Order: sequence, then C-alpha cells, then structure tokens
Amino acid sequence: MRRTRLRSWRLGVAGLLIGLLVTTAVGAPGPRLVRLTFYYPVGVAGPLARVIDEMVAEFNRQTPDVEVVAVYSGDYDPTMQKVQTAVMAGNPPDIAIVEISEMPTLLAMNAIIPLDFYARAEGREWLRDFFPAFLQNSYSDGRFYAVPFQRSTPVLYWNKDAFKEVGLDPETPPATWEDLEDYAKRLVKRDAAGGVQRWGVTISGGWNDWLFEAFVRQNGGVLLDYGRRQLRLDSPEAVEALRFWVRLTNELKVAPPHSTWASTPPDFVAGRTAMLYHSTGILTFLKNSARFPFGVAFLPRKKQYAVEVGGGNFYVFEKIPKAHQDAAWRFIRWMVTPERAARWSMASGYIAVRRSAYEVPAMKEFVTKNPEYLVAREQLRYAYGKIMAPNFQRLREILKRALDDATGGRVRPEVALRRAQEEAEQALGAWLKR
Amino acid sequence: MAHSRASWRGQGGAQAFLYLLPSLLFLAIFTYWPMLRAIAMSLLEWNLSRPEPVFAGLRNYATLLADPVFHLVLRNTAMLAAVAIPISIALGLVLAILLNEPLGFLRGVYRAAVFYPTMIPMAAAAMLWVWLFNPSIGLVNYYLGKLGLPRVEWLYDMTWALPAVMISWIWKNVGYLTILYLAGLQAVPTELLEAASVEGAGFWQRVRYVTLPFLGPTTVFVVVVSLINSFQVFDAVHIMTQGGPADRSNVLVYFLYQQAFRFWDIGVASALTAFFVAGLLVFVVFVVGQMERGVFYEV
Amino acid sequence: MHLALGSASLIMLVPYLWALTASVKSRAEIFTPTPQWWPRAWQWSNYVDVFRYAPFEIYFLNTLIVVLGILAVQLITITLAGFAFARLQFRYREALFYLFLIQMMLPIHAVIVPNYLTIKSLGLLNTQLAMMLPFWASGYGTFLMRQAFRQIPAELEEAALLDGCTGLRLLWSIMIPQVRPVLLAFSLISVVTHWNDFLWPLIVTDTPRVRTLTIGLAMFVQQESGADWTLLMAATVMVTAPLLVAFLFLQRRFVESFMYAGLR
Repeated sequence: MRRTRLRSWRLGVAGLLIGLLVTTAVGAPGPRLVRLTFYYPVGVAGPLARVIDEMVAEFNRQTPDVEVVAVYSGDYDPTMQKVQTAVMAGNPPDIAIVEISEMPTLLAMNAIIPLDFYARAEGREWLRDFFPAFLQNSYSDGRFYAVPFQRSTPVLYWNKDAFKEVGLDPETPPATWEDLEDYAKRLVKRDAAGGVQRWGVTISGGWNDWLFEAFVRQNGGVLLDYGRRQLRLDSPEAVEALRFWVRLTNELKVAPPHSTWASTPPDFVAGRTAMLYHSTGILTFLKNSARFPFGVAFLPRKKQYAVEVGGGNFYVFEKIPKAHQDAAWRFIRWMVTPERAARWSMASGYIAVRRSAYEVPAMKEFVTKNPEYLVAREQLRYAYGKIMAPNFQRLREILKRALDDATGGRVRPEVALRRAQEEAEQALGAWLKR
Repeated sequence: MAHSRASWRGQGGAQAFLYLLPSLLFLAIFTYWPMLRAIAMSLLEWNLSRPEPVFAGLRNYATLLADPVFHLVLRNTAMLAAVAIPISIALGLVLAILLNEPLGFLRGVYRAAVFYPTMIPMAAAAMLWVWLFNPSIGLVNYYLGKLGLPRVEWLYDMTWALPAVMISWIWKNVGYLTILYLAGLQAVPTELLEAASVEGAGFWQRVRYVTLPFLGPTTVFVVVVSLINSFQVFDAVHIMTQGGPADRSNVLVYFLYQQAFRFWDIGVASALTAFFVAGLLVFVVFVVGQMERGVFYEV
Repeated sequence: MHLALGSASLIMLVPYLWALTASVKSRAEIFTPTPQWWPRAWQWSNYVDVFRYAPFEIYFLNTLIVVLGILAVQLITITLAGFAFARLQFRYREALFYLFLIQMMLPIHAVIVPNYLTIKSLGLLNTQLAMMLPFWASGYGTFLMRQAFRQIPAELEEAALLDGCTGLRLLWSIMIPQVRPVLLAFSLISVVTHWNDFLWPLIVTDTPRVRTLTIGLAMFVQQESGADWTLLMAATVMVTAPLLVAFLFLQRRFVESFMYAGLR
C-alpha cells in the first residue's frame, strides 16, 4: 500500500542517515601509534598541495609509528583563520605552517610551544645551517618558536621579449627606482582608445603590504620594530615610497592600481604586464607556463638593496600530548632535512631554508641548469625579518587599505599613512610603546 | 477565518505544546537565544588582546560608529539594495509578463534558461562571473571592446568592484523573481485582459492598466524578499573581491565575518550583530503586520 | 516577444556556457587575447584532474548527508507545528505564530557569531550535525504547512473523528496525505536552498572530512586561483551539475514548487 511504502522508505532513509552520521563521527581507528593533524597553506600558484601530500606520504612510509594527516587549508589568511578556530574550539592541530607574521598572535593566544629544547637536541650546527634572515621571525623574548619551511623573498620578474620589443637590453633589469620608472614608461602599451594593453610593471596586490615593506626598507625606513615595539607607518621614508607607487599608478599610469596576489602571475604569463613584483615562490609556475624567456632580479634599490623575507613557518601547538609534540618534531625535522628542503625549493621556487640544501647533488645540478632559482637566495644578504605584531591581521588590513586608497587615487599618501598609523596604534593598544 | 471545530480540542493545550516543542526548541536555541546573547556580548570587550571578556559598556558601539569602514560598509550595502533590487525586480516583472504569453513549447526552454541560476550556489555563480570579469581574457571586457566602450578593470577597480558584485547577484536572482511574478500573474483575470484588447488596447497598454494593478501584493512580497536577500550578500563578495579594493565592495555580512573570524573581535562583532538584528526586527515586525492583514483578507 | 525572450535567455545562458567551454580547454588555450568559443582540442581530462586535487566525491557525500539530514528533521517539525497552528486551539496561538513568522525573515547570517559560539560549546565544531542544527526549525515551512492544513475541509476531519481516529494517527493517516504536494514543494525548495549553503558551513567546518561542495569549490579556487582556469571551471561545472541535471528532468516540478511558495 502506498502508506506503508512511504513509511518504510522514510525509515530506510533515517537509518541510512544515522548510520552515516555515526561512522563519520566516530571515524575509523588507525593502526598507527601517533596520528598528527597538520594544517598547511599554499600561498603561491601551482599544484604544490600535491607535492606536500607526496612528501607527507613518504614520511608516513618511513616512520611506521607516526602518521601525519595533512590538511590543506587554503591560502595564508584562511589557514590562520582555521588554526585560530581550531585553537579556540580547544581542538588545535598538532602542527601547522602559518604565515610568519602570525607568531605574536599565536603567542598571545597561548597556542604554540617553544622549540628550544628540541632545537638544542639537534646540536649547535642545526640552527646555524638555516639562513639567518629566515630565523628573524622565529624568536620572541629570546625563545625559539618557529622552524622555517617555505620561505621566500619578493623578486622582480621581467619579460625579456617585451624588453627587446621596446629596445631595452633583455639581459639588464632595472637596478634602481629611477630605472624602474623609466623602463615601465617604455614598456607600457596602450591601445587606440587609451586603455592599457600591457602594463609596464605590476606591484602585486593582495600582499602589497609585504611589498611595501620592502620599498620602505629600500628607502632606508622601517615600518615596525618588533624588538622595540615601535610602529612608524607614516615615516617620511614610507610616505616617499608610497608617493612613488602613486606616481606609477596614477600619474604615469604604468602600473595597475589594484590587483590580487593570484591574478598577477597569470597576467605576467599572458603578457599583460612586462614586469612583476611577486614572490620567488611562483617561479616554478612561471617556468611551466610562460612561453617567452623571462628573468628574475633583485628588487630595484633606492638608497640600498633591501627586501623582507616572507612565507610560512612550522609551529607545534600547545595542549597536545607530549608524545604528539615529540612526533611533531620528528616530522618537522624530517621536512627540513637538506634533501627535502631542496626538493621543496625545486618544486616551488621557494628558497631552500638551509645552506646545506644547496650542497645536495640534485639541487646543485638543478641550479646550474636553472640559475634563476638562486636569485632570491642571493638577495638574502639584503634581507630583513618581516613585520610582525599581535593582532597582525588587523594591522595588515589597515595598512593594505591605506595603500589601496592611495594607489586608487582617493586619498593622498601622507594622509592615508597617517590615518593608518592612528588606526594601528589603536588596534595594537597596550602592546606598543609610544 | 476558519476557526476549526472546537469540541474535542479540550486537551488542545497539551497536544499543541507537544507538537510545537521540537520547533520551539530549535527556534529558541538558534534564533532567539542568539539575539539576546549577542546583545549581552556586545557589552563586553572580548578580542585577541583580551581573551577573557571584560565589561565595557557601550564602547564597542562607539568603536563601530567611529570606524570609517563601518560607514563605508553601510553605504555599500545600501547602494547594493537601492540599485540591484529595482533592476532585478523590473527585469523579473518584464520577463514574467513575456513568459505568460502563449509561446508554445519554447516557453519551457525560455523558462528554464531564466530560472536555472536559482539552482546553482551563489558561490558557483560568483566563480562564473569572476571568470567573465577577468580584465584581460574575460568575455565582458571583450564585448565591451567590440562595442567601442572602454575596458574596465572590474574586480580590481574601486568604482566597479561593487557593480560587478551587483551584476552577478542580479543574474542569480532574476529567475527567482520572474517565477514569483509568474505566480502573481495567475491572479490577473483574463476576462479583463480580453475586454481591454477588444476595446483596442495595445500589449503594453494592457499591461499598464490591467495587469500591473493586480500585481500589488506580489510586488510587495518580491520587494521584501529581495531586501532581506540583499542584506545577506556574502558569498559573491567572498569569492569575487573579498571586500576590496580598499573595502569598496565590503558589505554588512562580510564585514561581520571579518570582525568575528579574521580579527576575532567578538565584542565588536556582537555589537554589529545586535545592530543588524535590531534593524531587521524593526523591518520584519512592520512587514509582518502588513502581511497578516493581507493574509486574513485572502482567506 | 520571442526576440526579447530569446535574447534574455541567451544572456542568462552565456556565463554557464562560457564556463563549459573553458572547462574542456587546455591551459594554454585560455590565454588568448580574443576569446574562442570553440575549443581547439577537447580536454576532458580536466574533470578527472579536479578529483586529483581535491576529494570532491567526499564533498558530494557530505552535501548529500547535510541536505537530507536537514530535510528529514524539517519535515517532522514543520508538519507538527503547522498542524498545531492550523487545527488546534490553545492559548497564545497567535503570539507563538508570530515567533515563527519572524524567524522566517531573520536570516541566519545575522546571528552567525552567537550560533558559532553555541556550536563550539556543544563541542560540535567541524561536524555535519553543526551544519544541520540551526535549520531544523523552519518558520517558512511551518507557515506553508499551516496554510496547507487549513485548506483541508473540516468534514474530512470530522469523519475521521467519528471513526475514532485522533492525535498522531489522525495526522499521519489522514491529514498528511492531503498535503503531500506541499510537502514535496517544500522539500524541493529546502534541498536547493541548503545544497547551496555557504557562510554557515564555512565557519563551522575546517577539514575536508566534513566539507561540502560549495566550500570545496571555494577552497579549490584559492588553491588554483588564476593558475588554472580550466580546472576551476571544470570544478564549478561539476559542483553545479547534480542540481542542474535534476532541474532539467524535473523542471516543471521545481518551477511549480517555487511558484507555490510565492503564492502562499
């Protein structure tokens, strides 16, 4: 009868649902001893999530008593969000790669454990093997919290065919801000209606705060001194740097006023911009996609060459059992062995975080054939630690808004930065020393 | 009004309570208790710098009111409502009127084409439009170029980012509004339309003098639904612009999301929630009052 | 007439069609300055590749579980509540009904922060249950059911009463079959609505194990954004396919359901 069929159908569905809910909630117990959750971001273009998965799988094979479950959690910002959500829910991951500027926030949340004990157990040489610039975002109050893994600096990419087209020497990138402006003016291509077909240079948005830091350093200024807890967003050097940006975007119109971090690498590949400021981490993507020869260069200097480092570090979380912490260290240590660091660098374009990684035979061969991969490493001698503070997300939003407002032509640079300074002082509150 | 049989409903109270219990339980936990809680939490200072909440009076509200981004967000949300809603309603109405005409088997085709966006998530629709709005290889700029119009940077342009979001929103919602109007059109008496055409009225004259007056209640409903929808815009902004550039496409719910889940400022987020809920409640109570009157007349 | 409707239909279809063509192109083909409608080489492998990058089959399962889970409980709550409002007499009936009406218009987006904290205290973060709970009471559904029950002629009820059929049995055997079309209409609307949920699942779930299709798509966007439009479009097409296919076959049903809801 229709009635009974309806009833049994409904019961069937209910039973199925309950069954599914129970299985997924309980989960299948694994045969491993220690199971670690590992959140990781991919902050640059390319199928790097797969590489991480492969590396994790290899670790799991080699270490039968530890199983790492890798969870891809988006870009740097969403990953930080997920980490925070998990920590607040009392359910932190065991390990995570988080953007380096988030360390103070994680500390303020009491989310991470110091790693001095583990690092010391590796011997003095272990830490010394890392490039010193990368360690600048690992310490707070003298304690060591973060192991460098996917580290980068911004670099300048330039389209050699485009250079040739406008009569520039394809092997000579701009070395100074003046050169940059000059080249960009020659490289920009407009169509009949005045719209831009090809930009001279693109200073990528999305992480333009990171790039802005570099420009300020190149001009001899500092945005934030973490050790001394001093913030100067509106210093004369910063204002001058922003004025330079505004000149490029609004007066000369050789650079797009806004863009996103993910949209600009394809723009470069498509020939829509002749020069690009972006992370060294997209190098592999560009090599695989661009159909023209291109170069990689230091960021042009003003008073000096200067860049910030960037990328993500490994953190181990509080409130996980000691066995997990120990196992987490084994995983981290494995991931930054010279061979793995080399592999990661070759797959992405990130700088291998340890000097010894460049001695690995596969790596030596690789960089001989692909010298562009060394440019960012060479730039490290001009590299500084990245700006970091508690409540960094808010600080970043404030700074980005100032930059976007200025390059959009809505607000004058000095006004934008002054406002940002005020807002940031409020956001950082008692942490700042006036 | 159909007040049903009274006799055996002696135990109506207990039985009704039992029947209503599950619904009331969830309503209480997930609709009404949250509203009260939001008001309570809005009086606390509770954020990353202060992980243990502390009473702060109305400070969060002051912070909000002093925040230039908040005002920008309100303006954007209002602009979206003021521009996108009339456009989508007008389009929905016209399409419904056209679809109501005898069209043969093609009607099913047109109707499907107009209505299918309702079936896909706004997030997916947003993806389609991100692709279309791509300044270098997107269709929109290509056709603009062909028409001799200037190319626009769309999602990266401070002026055009919000309109881009609006366009994707209109595209997604038009079909639904068309269907609502189609339903309303069934109430228009055909005799009047016939009488009008006999008297020599043209198509659009018939629409204006016969059809439209009967669409009053439907239009009210459509406006209310659209307004509530417009205040909830999130998916499109999240996928297409993340509120940028410089918060020029940031809207109320996205701003709320940022305060709560990026900056983890629960105090300010709660103040914003209280503000949002208060506004909605005022609006809703007003509308419900009107509606109940209308419903009573129908039945 | 046909011209206007035809052009409108075309404009509505273009975004999806364009995505379809992009989804079968090869990556290099995308970067041409003049858009080509017809792919030079059909690359169906994009659809396979999407699965290698993200476990969309898990996302699909989760979406199914959540949507059906929501619907199952909703049907119970709205039928009971709708019946009570339509046919039972009790004190505060009008006032209580207002509570339901108000909920109908209060979007969940407004109260996500307190609800998030509630879910957190219940220890239910990152579960399918969390994605279902807030929707189990539906003011909208209750309203529809009340209207539907009201339409049932009183004589039917009286006849049943004379036969000694009361309470739940009355509800189940007599009343519900009468309102089946409305239940069906509501079911279709509920499925479509919650299939496409975004913000709430976004904030209460973290890991792929419980992720739904819409969130999976958004995360996929972050992963491959800009880098590979062909994959992105393939993923978008795939995520939207199930409901669209159902729509193609049941077009009339879907349209009528939404229309009915509008008529109220």
